[in-house]
Amino acid sequence: MAVESTFLLALLGMGLASFACRIGGFLLMGYVTITPRVEAALKAIPISVMVGIVTPAATSGKLPELLGLLAVGGAMKLLRNDLAAAVAGAATVAVARWVLV
Amino acid sequence: MTQDAVSFTAQGVRRGFFAAQVMAPGITLYAMVFGVLASERGMSWLQAMLMSAAVYSGSAQLAALQGWTATAAVAPVIVTIFVMNARYVLYSAALQPWLASLPRHQSRGSLFFLGDGNWAMAMREYDAGYRDAGYVLGSGVAMFVPWLGGTLVGHLLAGSVPNPAAFGLDFMLVAFAAAIGMVLWRGKSDLWPVAAAGLMALALHRLLPGAWYIVGAGIAGGLMGAWRHGR
Repeated sequence: MAVESTFLLALLGMGLASFACRIGGFLLMGYVTITPRVEAALKAIPISVMVGIVTPAATSGKLPELLGLLAVGGAMKLLRNDLAAAVAGAATVAVARWVLV
Repeated sequence: MTQDAVSFTAQGVRRGFFAAQVMAPGITLYAMVFGVLASERGMSWLQAMLMSAAVYSGSAQLAALQGWTATAAVAPVIVTIFVMNARYVLYSAALQPWLASLPRHQSRGSLFFLGDGNWAMAMREYDAGYRDAGYVLGSGVAMFVPWLGGTLVGHLLAGSVPNPAAFGLDFMLVAFAAAIGMVLWRGKSDLWPVAAAGLMALALHRLLPGAWYIVGAGIAGGLMGAWRHGR
């Protein structure tokens, strides 16, 4: 993609595609009546996405990742702070990879 | 759920901006990785920066680079962006009740900066009853700035960028999602959506490339939440 106009075309398309995804759900929901059932679905999405993000690491069978998730759980129980727990998890993974690999 | 008044204040923007700083080091390093790969693919620093600004999505940009050759057609690259960013449709749907009453420039402007990490943080705040939507914009901008900065630094440094995995930074989003998932857990009513999401993610992660497992988990959990409603 050395040609400048090709790059700009790709850039425009990529930017529009990205932004369309970001506002797409928001705009679509504008046409949906928020019944209690729809609200229940929307409320279930965040925790479901979190589970989705965690699942591959949790089922990978890799020890650093499993120790990292245990560290997150432990830190959450102790500190009740998600930022601290996330940092503890990442640090645990870093140390475990360094020690175990 | 009580109908708390939604606001959009500078204080909320600041609060989100500072709260999301914990994600900044990981974002910077990932952006540096993109910068390096973009330079290897022959992109100028300006092109890499423009792409980071317009797309602003690590997984999508790295995937798009795979198809980025001198003769590449534009369409497949754009389709790749759509596929990798499909999860944002779900994210912005979940944010709709919070942002719907705001003026267009505030809701759409905030959504432009939407990312995985700041969405997770924002949904946690919303769940806790916080209604200042400035938080969504502030936490998004907090990740956008290091994304651009990291892209530039990575492109300039080229080969000498450290591997994020060595610092556990590739695990940061997973750790964050696990912690926020624990915050969002309200009890037994969440058990069915969580189980559906986990099974769907497990299956899709093995069957499909990209981030479809995240999209699938959100849809499966949402449908299960709707189905279990009132039962």
